Amino acid sequence: MTQTRRQFMATTAAATAALGLPGLARAADPLGIALITPSPLGDVGWSHTLKLGLDGVVAKLGDAVKLTVLENIPEGPDADRIMQKTVTDGNKFVLAGSFGYMNGGLQLARRFPDVSVIHASGYQVAPNFANFAARYFQGTYLMGMAAAALSKTGKIGSVSAFAIPELITSINAFALGAQSVNPAIEVSVVWVNSWFDPAKEQAAAKALISQGNDVIFSNAQDTPSVISACEEAGVYAFNLNSSMKSYAPTKYLGVVGTDWSPYFIAEVEAHIAGTFKGSSHWLGIADKVVFVADWNPDIPADIKAKIDETEAQIAAGSFNPFTGPILKADGTEVAAAGAVIPDDQILAMDWHVKGVVTPLPQ
Amino acid sequence: MSAAEFILSGMLAAATPFLLAALGELVVERSGVLNLGLEGIMAFAAAIAFIVVYQGGGHMLAFGVAAIAGAALAMVFGVLVLTFRANQVAAGLAIGILGLGLSSLVGKPYESLTITGLPKLALPGLSSLPVVGGLFVQDAAVWLSLIATAAIWYMFRATKLGLTIRAVGENPHAAHAIGTPVIALRAAAIAFGGAMSGVAGAYASTVYTPLWADGMIAGRGWIALALVVFGTWMTGRVFFGACLFGALSLAELTAQAAGVGLPSQLLASLPYLVTILILGIISSDRRRMRLNAVASLGEPFET
Repeated sequence: MTQTRRQFMATTAAATAALGLPGLARAADPLGIALITPSPLGDVGWSHTLKLGLDGVVAKLGDAVKLTVLENIPEGPDADRIMQKTVTDGNKFVLAGSFGYMNGGLQLARRFPDVSVIHASGYQVAPNFANFAARYFQGTYLMGMAAAALSKTGKIGSVSAFAIPELITSINAFALGAQSVNPAIEVSVVWVNSWFDPAKEQAAAKALISQGNDVIFSNAQDTPSVISACEEAGVYAFNLNSSMKSYAPTKYLGVVGTDWSPYFIAEVEAHIAGTFKGSSHWLGIADKVVFVADWNPDIPADIKAKIDETEAQIAAGSFNPFTGPILKADGTEVAAAGAVIPDDQILAMDWHVKGVVTPLPQ
Repeated sequence: MSAAEFILSGMLAAATPFLLAALGELVVERSGVLNLGLEGIMAFAAAIAFIVVYQGGGHMLAFGVAAIAGAALAMVFGVLVLTFRANQVAAGLAIGILGLGLSSLVGKPYESLTITGLPKLALPGLSSLPVVGGLFVQDAAVWLSLIATAAIWYMFRATKLGLTIRAVGENPHAAHAIGTPVIALRAAAIAFGGAMSGVAGAYASTVYTPLWADGMIAGRGWIALALVVFGTWMTGRVFFGACLFGALSLAELTAQAAGVGLPSQLLASLPYLVTILILGIISSDRRRMRLNAVASLGEPFET
């Protein structure tokens, strides 16, 4: 017992000494940026786009920054420890790439006031702790328009990870976009209740296809599991974050992509200039963070023209996909004709719009 | 395609990764050794098999290499528990973690790449039946795993080898006394179990979901382990349990896709609940359960 405590004291002392060290670093040293991601960095997917965003920072600032990537770190105590370590190793700018890193990242920001932390898809803010998220729903609305135009059965579906507001919002906008083209369209959702289980995701896509859904939205899958199953079955599919067109050369509907570099560059430059401020950033098409690309040539020209027009309106701020009349699945009205659902209600969305036939898990 | 047709046609393929790994573990446990490292062995072999197919080696070669890789990793466990008489639970867990780590390592350059699976082979005649026809259209690996099930069932039921394995698992000292090479037999069982887990992993990454992603085995090795216990170490019940689990996991997704008004969390837990319930009822006869359980399971053998 005594020995254990002595060992503990020794470790703590070593850690404290290590904490002091980075202070000795010279000002001319490049800014150390650390990226921590929950999944392995593939050629596609969420973690990949975060890395691309930081590559944009490196391209812009060159030798002034130095990038460290820590991938596939499970959320929880392990992540907290690794974030601590990367800061004691001298990194001063930390990108915590998953919701579950929030509390650990916030503690880190409090302990090291000279470090700036930006955190993906959370809601906490501190003077040196900012959060960021993408308005995917702006893109999924446009995808919904294309999906409704291409669906022959009038049924479209989504394979979705967990029933959290961010994903529900994307599905609702997808349904609203589809209804703007075909008011009678039905949207089914399969919740796989996992962030990562390619086999189950693929089985979910096949289940949706067997029920007659002929356009599938791969909602928050980091691998091409759903996209490749759809190509094989001959139904259209689209996904978020980065293009998976190479996995579905003929049936790829398009991508709701994210390009984080404009935002990351702004934050890193603010940190270097000493003007970093912790705040919430919810970025969309207007910020050039969310974009839609790789449209399938099968989309009829008149619909494509309408999509482009809507995209321009969203970018200009003159149209919000959550503009009334909007009814919940149970028929109650949330927004009257012409009324826009405010951001805070979109962020907390826990209901499906009318037209989504799968009941929402409670 | 109706929901029932979808479930029937996909059930066997969904069950195959569990079934192959569970059959291998069944042989290992029948010989008195508990290998908890299935998950890692499956993941490691899955990565290797994917690489073989991706590099143009074909599925046959991939399955062979995966079997060898699985057996090799299992033999690391074998040396630990048979030669050094290490605690089987700890050694199995360690091998499992090692396998997961190795799979990340070798699979890293192949992250989220895809390949093509195996074509389906139809049993002429039966496959054109209404509703159940889909059950008879499966890929070659599924057909082979059914043959393997029958072979293992026959081995335990009617061959000297099967009886010897059971004798070693029940009472290794008695088996040793009559001249059975206990350690050698257990080593062979562990290698066979590893090879089967390897093939299970290969099926998961090259046929069922033909892509590689770190962590894609996603707990299937643990489910296979549970199936062996809930199947009370009997081949038929393990097979039944795997099929039931496969069918229910598809039923869950189909129910959601068809808009059944049940919470998805409840549906997601159904495969586990129902499998435990049904196999629990089957094995509720305490006396028979004690008869089936392997007496020396997990105990190191010392002469």
